[in-house]
Amino acid sequence: MIVSTIVVIFLFKTLWSNAPASQLMIRQGNKVVGTYDLNQNRELHLHGPLGESHISIVQGKVRFKQSPCTNQYCVHQGWLKLAGQVAICLPNQISLQLIGEKKPYDSLNY
Amino acid sequence: MRIVFLLLSALLLLSCSPKEPLYNTQSYVFGTLVDISIYGETDERAQAVSNGIIQQYNALHQRLHAWKPSELSAINQAFSAGKSITIKPDIAQILRDATALSTQSEGAFNPAIGQLIKLWGFQNDTFIPHQADENAVTALASKNPKMSDIVINGNEIYSNNPAVQLDLGGYAKGYALDIGLTYLTEQNIKHALINIGGNIIALGQHGDKPWRVGIQHPRQPNAIATLALPSGWAIGTSGDYQRYFEFDGQRYCHVIDPNTGYPVQGMQSVTVLIPPQAQAGVLSDVASKPIFIAKANEQVKQASVAGVNDFLIMTAQDNIQVSTSMQAKLNWLDTEAEKAAKMVTLE
Repeated sequence: MIVSTIVVIFLFKTLWSNAPASQLMIRQGNKVVGTYDLNQNRELHLHGPLGESHISIVQGKVRFKQSPCTNQYCVHQGWLKLAGQVAICLPNQISLQLIGEKKPYDSLNY
Repeated sequence: MRIVFLLLSALLLLSCSPKEPLYNTQSYVFGTLVDISIYGETDERAQAVSNGIIQQYNALHQRLHAWKPSELSAINQAFSAGKSITIKPDIAQILRDATALSTQSEGAFNPAIGQLIKLWGFQNDTFIPHQADENAVTALASKNPKMSDIVINGNEIYSNNPAVQLDLGGYAKGYALDIGLTYLTEQNIKHALINIGGNIIALGQHGDKPWRVGIQHPRQPNAIATLALPSGWAIGTSGDYQRYFEFDGQRYCHVIDPNTGYPVQGMQSVTVLIPPQAQAGVLSDVASKPIFIAKANEQVKQASVAGVNDFLIMTAQDNIQVSTSMQAKLNWLDTEAEKAAKMVTLE
């Protein structure tokens, strides 16, 4: 009984906090480009101040595949799949934000 | 009967999924992302207030720009020419505050080292991997530019040391948080969250719960933990993972040790939590720097000197120190990090 309660609490905590995302919100500058279903295969090409950023959605995860920025932090961040995860390309002013059933936090400190 | 059923269904639908009165907007200012959330206002009003904040930030950014023509770069030109220059009262106040904080940190927080920041290539929107010339670094560091070299007489300012070049990169975002909070209060906004390049200040709360923030893992694209940020509190992180370059397998981050002139090595992130006070935003930006720069065994001592009770220090994946006060507030998401975290009790 105690064990199962602990398991349930652990699962609840894990699933609630590290829940997979279902949707992706993309912004360019101060505009929301769109909200996309994460459970699909889709390639997106967005234009920012520096040029074209290539964003790849592959069945539940997303990443910056190519970016015209110098330091490539956005590309190096790799795949995002959990609700609340964020990838920002500051030079090209494009941000990806993953959205799930529950929001684990309102904003990210970095 | 059918109408009653329909009405009940409609009521049920309304009560199940009311649109949350949460407005969120993002803009690019200070070379970073500004993210504003406002709760409990109409979208129109929240948008108008957010625009008001962004306008103030754009103006501040232009005035304090360290490497484009601005009020700050005019001061820097005067300093290197050994001349005095007239400045606006608010800039004078910023520089007095920054000097006091620099002195308190025994020079670890030092906005006078603009030349070193430039030498390492961080006064730029993008960074070119390179090793700065050793002699040039030593020469600049040995000139010992510091805030106390500056003399402010009314609206006149000059520097006793021509090597002083101001760069408020470690101060301006925090200052902007304080300005934003004041503006929100003046506009009678009760609940908002401002995030400027990762530094966050809270006003009120998100509905019936406090605002919640995630703390980014310095090496993974996810949050390491979350915590509630009550009204008036601010959080800030100094990290080696936001502005850096790699050269010959070595990571060079934007935080420079004023004593050596070199970027700090072997530190991943320092997160500090600041309770409500007049300069909570500024402190969330400034207070993490001396801890980040401190020698390996002196980080906790530095936190204590700075009066920071809530901190999270990561030097490596498996080397994490967290103050007992911070630990009590954290909800860990990363179980590996949670296991590795060592509790630190401040004396």
